[in-house]
Amino acid sequence: MSGSPNALRRVLANPFAAIVIVALAWWIAVPLFKIEPRFLPPISVVFADGMSVWRDLAAGLWRTLLETVLGFLAGAILGIAFGVGFAYLRFLERAFFPIFVALQTVPVIAFGAIVVIWFGNTIMAKVVIALYLAFFPVAVNTLRGLETTDPQRIALMKSFGASGLQLFLKLALPTALPSIMIGLKLGISLSLAGAIVGEWFGDTVGLGVMLLQSLYFEQIPRVWVLIVACGALGTVLYGFLALIERRFVWWRPD
Amino acid sequence: MRKSLMRGAGAALVAALTLWGATQPAGAAEPVSVRLKWLPQAQFAGIYVAKAKGFYEAGGLDVTVNPGGPNINVETLVASGADTFGIASGTEGVLYAREKGLPLVCIGMSQQMTPFAYVAYTESGINSVKDFKGKKVATWFTGPQYTLFSVLAHEGLAQSDLQVVSQPFSMQPFIDKQYDVATVTLYNELNTLKEQGITDIKLFLPDDSGVTTQQDSIVTSEKMIKEKPEQVQAFLDATLKGWKYAFEHKAEAVDIVLAAGSGLERKHQELMLDEIEKLMVAKLGTTEGLGAIDMKSIAAVQDSLVEFKAMKAPVDLAAAFDTTFFAKVPAEDKKM
Repeated sequence: MSGSPNALRRVLANPFAAIVIVALAWWIAVPLFKIEPRFLPPISVVFADGMSVWRDLAAGLWRTLLETVLGFLAGAILGIAFGVGFAYLRFLERAFFPIFVALQTVPVIAFGAIVVIWFGNTIMAKVVIALYLAFFPVAVNTLRGLETTDPQRIALMKSFGASGLQLFLKLALPTALPSIMIGLKLGISLSLAGAIVGEWFGDTVGLGVMLLQSLYFEQIPRVWVLIVACGALGTVLYGFLALIERRFVWWRPD
Repeated sequence: MRKSLMRGAGAALVAALTLWGATQPAGAAEPVSVRLKWLPQAQFAGIYVAKAKGFYEAGGLDVTVNPGGPNINVETLVASGADTFGIASGTEGVLYAREKGLPLVCIGMSQQMTPFAYVAYTESGINSVKDFKGKKVATWFTGPQYTLFSVLAHEGLAQSDLQVVSQPFSMQPFIDKQYDVATVTLYNELNTLKEQGITDIKLFLPDDSGVTTQQDSIVTSEKMIKEKPEQVQAFLDATLKGWKYAFEHKAEAVDIVLAAGSGLERKHQELMLDEIEKLMVAKLGTTEGLGAIDMKSIAAVQDSLVEFKAMKAPVDLAAAFDTTFFAKVPAEDKKM
């Protein structure tokens, strides 16, 4: 008897259980409260609609995943490189950081229009928009992480004759990694948003394309299918990073 | 340390720039492209049919069809040379582009009638445009509002006689009766309403009020017309031939459109193609042929845009609309 609250807690802690609970609530609430389909269609209708286009959905998921991952990887590499550069070369921060902040305030819609002129309707256009959104949080969090390096520890390591590279690899980088992971987790979600928005600049395949189409035709169940699909994709990507973090970056800076 | 880091950052920058450069489309591309104003759908069946049936290929063109979207400005992309041809917004879009000095030229007009229309519930007692007086009328403020203003002017109503409000993407506010009159396109929103079981509505067509604004203009750049007029001619010939084929083989045309897009519903596309046919095979589309440019209605649209101060001054219509290509399209390709 005393074990049951714990067992319940354990069940709730499982992410799959949460999905089942939300699905059940959706399934029960719609007929129970007589929610009109235009506000929230029954889950069975949404599921059936998703199944009716599963081929397009699978192709769209794959395409959007590819755009997101490529954009994220490029954004992460650039972001970490600039974060490190900013931390060690102050002139670089002073020269470029304001430009990056300014770029960040440019609406992605305006930026996207230019990207289409540069890259046309290629997958590259979407990748660049995903990169553009992912890059900034990674760079900022890398910089902030490196800045938290304890000066006393630097002094200590220097007194033992540690080289600059040793200082970076053995002290600064491990200190910064938890913060970099935060940047990466922010970045992957933004990459997905970037890829989806990028597809609104003209394409034939992708979750963003299907979303736009369903909005145009006012197919409300289809919109929900895509909300679920985008959410699932984002969760999987985020979960993957969280897993890497738990496995390899388990420590926290003091 | 500092040096090696700097070298590292430099290398990363170079790598990024190379990546950037490598993805740029190669210059002086022989194949041509056509930019649509929206995603693949039956509204552009003629283009997809012309490509799938090899009409473009027979005309010596390797056409890439680039779909559009809400953030795509076809006029800018075609005028800048990013795309060779375009299916752009319509009469107003061409006029604005010319006013801004864009080297854009219209060589054909797809829709011969105004595709916008106004709907009101039967129970509202609105039986003519004159009855809009004192009512709440919604329209899109992305351009079609000037069509409404022209219709009102033709019917002798002042804009202050009614309340004109901005209409969102969705038809839901009209379904919820938040306003008395809403704007639809005959090929999409009207079908959406019908599919949701809303049939107790009355329809008011701008053409019945004497307002015609041709839409879905076929455009290219001044540069193309000057340097490669034979390609422009070949593109228009094949496009109109594609349209004629699409209307004569509708089931096949819908198949082609469905294959070009993703997640499209067959029924939607069939309905859309039927409506597009009505808009294209009308007025000059019957007498002159598909794609005819109606200079008279264009001049009237420009007059009203200037009157409503949407344009500062009229543009040279003869430079903006080139009817010579259409005139040279073989009759068997454009006459239904």
